[in-house]
Amino acid sequence: MAPLHLFIVNKSGGLIHHRPLGPKAPQIGTNEWLRIGSTFHSLHAIAAEASPVRLPGNKNPYGADDGIEFIEAGGLVLCCLQTRTGVKFVVTAEPGTPELDLMLREIYVLYSDCALKDPFYELEMPIRTDLFTSAVDALLEQLESRNTKSSADRPIVRF
Amino acid sequence: EFLATPTIPPTTDPPNHAVESNVYNVASLVARNSSQMVVHSLHIFDRKGKTLFSKTYSKAAAIGQQQLRQTSQGPAEEDPVDEQRKLVFGMLFSLRELVGSLAPEGEKGGLHSIRTGASTLHNYETLSGVRFAMYTTNDVGGADASSSSRRSSAAAESNVSVRDALRHIYTELWVESVIKSPLYRPGEMSTVGQRSSGSGGGDAFDIRSTNFEKKLDSFLQSMPWFR
Repeated sequence: MAPLHLFIVNKSGGLIHHRPLGPKAPQIGTNEWLRIGSTFHSLHAIAAEASPVRLPGNKNPYGADDGIEFIEAGGLVLCCLQTRTGVKFVVTAEPGTPELDLMLREIYVLYSDCALKDPFYELEMPIRTDLFTSAVDALLEQLESRNTKSSADRPIVRF
Repeated sequence: EFLATPTIPPTTDPPNHAVESNVYNVASLVARNSSQMVVHSLHIFDRKGKTLFSKTYSKAAAIGQQQLRQTSQGPAEEDPVDEQRKLVFGMLFSLRELVGSLAPEGEKGGLHSIRTGASTLHNYETLSGVRFAMYTTNDVGGADASSSSRRSSAAAESNVSVRDALRHIYTELWVESVIKSPLYRPGEMSTVGQRSSGSGGGDAFDIRSTNFEKKLDSFLQSMPWFR
């Protein structure tokens, strides 16, 4: 019931961020992360093409290209949010972890607040902003305490 | 005195269901209730990626196939529907590797389901490498955003039931009809889409010689979520 990893892929398929989100996350080397990022990028698009039915214009209701949103596997679930600009936010977690799509949307907000508004951040480059890292830490803490307290109406307070 | 035997109505399905023999018509009775799933298609692949069996059920999927054939610009001998099936197998293969490397220690990373905005692909892989892949619509158990956890658990439940169905199709239908057929020879099955140009194709085991498809159709129609 815990998140495992977060990774962010830019619109060309290059990995721009990866980090573990919990203690049970397996150790994965940098090279393998790069491979995972680009493989997922291609498979995301292939999944939409292989589907027997397609959304109109291949766009989902958010205006982004359709692709993998959720994968269930033995011992793992994977949730992906693709934005209109082609950036993919992907989180892996143990099965049964709640509110993964909410977490991804909040991380998207943190990305636009911390990384995109950073004057030194270059678009599509790896994110090295400390503010982003600490904001994601704070978000994780809030989500965890929200789930243990099970108070569904407590709002997400941003930094 | 001859007493007419009363007809026993089917216990699970609505009355008009028993009359339809054409699977397409049955499947096109898409439920108005949006929380019901529609099965689009079923594919069975062997461990090398060859398609052993493939069938389209829903009208939407049949229309999609037609459009694919019409709009394809590739060389004439390559069937775009064939190419799409190869994409499905390739995707299942690569994604299994991917989740295997992402899963925590000690977890068997078998791929269960893949959801996109358009459809969900359910996958069941056997120890011998045979993959049963079924495309369905996305199960929407409540479109309300605040109930996302309830929706995901409802979707998870229906995903489990589809997976159980795929396992049943393997153990009770595939093994019983195909593997146990006296004509079966492993490694020499005729594959879908293969032009039988006489390259030993005469001896290959054809699934159509079994009653697998009929049994499969009646099993799927008996499923409460198959519409």
